[in-house]
Amino acid sequence: MWRLLRPDAVDALDDPRVLSAMPRYARVAKGTLPARFLISRSISADWDPQGSLEELWQVHNRSLSEAESLMRRIDSGGMDSRELNREPRSLLHLKARIGEALMESCVLCERRCGKNRLNGELGLCRVGRETKIHSCFDHMGEEPEVVPSFTVCGS
Amino acid sequence: MDGGVPLSEMEVARLIDRARRRGCRNQNWVGGDPIPHIPFWLRVLLHEEENTPVFFNTNGYYSLEASALLKGVVDLYKIDFKYGSDRCAERISGVGNYWKVLTRNLKSSKSGGELLIRILVLPGHLECCLGPMLSFIARELGTDTRVNLMDQYAPHWRAAECPELRRRLSREEWERALKMVSDSGLENVIS
Ligand code: SF4
Repeated sequence: MWRLLRPDAVDALDDPRVLSAMPRYARVAKGTLPARFLISRSISADWDPQGSLEELWQVHNRSLSEAESLMRRIDSGGMDSRELNREPRSLLHLKARIGEALMESCVLCERRCGKNRLNGELGLCRVGRETKIHSCFDHMGEEPEVVPSFTVCGS
Repeated sequence: MDGGVPLSEMEVARLIDRARRRGCRNQNWVGGDPIPHIPFWLRVLLHEEENTPVFFNTNGYYSLEASALLKGVVDLYKIDFKYGSDRCAERISGVGNYWKVLTRNLKSSKSGGELLIRILVLPGHLECCLGPMLSFIARELGTDTRVNLMDQYAPHWRAAECPELRRRLSREEWERALKMVSDSGLENVIS
């Protein structure tokens, strides 16, 4: 169906201009390399639940460099990505943990309004504790290399 | 789906997995802007089963902390680059420190992921905004950077306070914008 709507998108992942700007994305979209989050989910991260935010960041940064070198190994063909396992306490879990901690005095965007969204306060962006899903659809209106794009609108 | 349903992370993950199996190329998180929702998305990813690249579609005004969380998660960033001067950003969007924040995030998204830039050309903002943006991209990010240059600006709610934004882009301005692109040396522009 989308091929009829966007014939220009059909071969976009082989377009040399797309490949020069985003070679890895093109391979992930085709399914021949793993998405980055799968790599981060396979790196174990051992953080102290009682630890300070600063300590969480230290573990995060160490695990992130491990994830980066693993990605380089996979991308150069040195490792089969089917061997990626799913760690119960991974770098991705740690990111989710830190993300939540940042909502307590929110500094996710550069307005840094500091509202306590965990308590339900609304930030300057009008977002509080919860993310609701406003809509989701297969987006056909974007750049050819990203179409069709499963678009989820949070609010 | 109705407006604003609270779905669990698990339910959203299942929707994304299903979309991938029917052939969608990526998961595209939008908001408003997805920045305040980053913690939610990170939890969704914990539940996904399929190999679906993450496409982060943003105004680019996120903090260093958010940037560190996105690293190792986002495969492709699409950043809306709007202004080439803090004065214009302050006046039209009411945000401070725009140039420093955007250029920092453009650079780090390119080094820690891959990048697509969207520029919606604003009427009356060719010299102050488009020019500096194009030369920054060519100089700091490379002439192969993929840029989607758009002429579809339609007058919006700020137009009352910004007289130049009460009209669409003129044909002459669009042609001048294209000329500026070719002078900039950028080689990968969709227009
Ligand atoms: S405006 Fe929203 S995202 Fe930005 S810091 Fe405040 S609560 Fe966080």
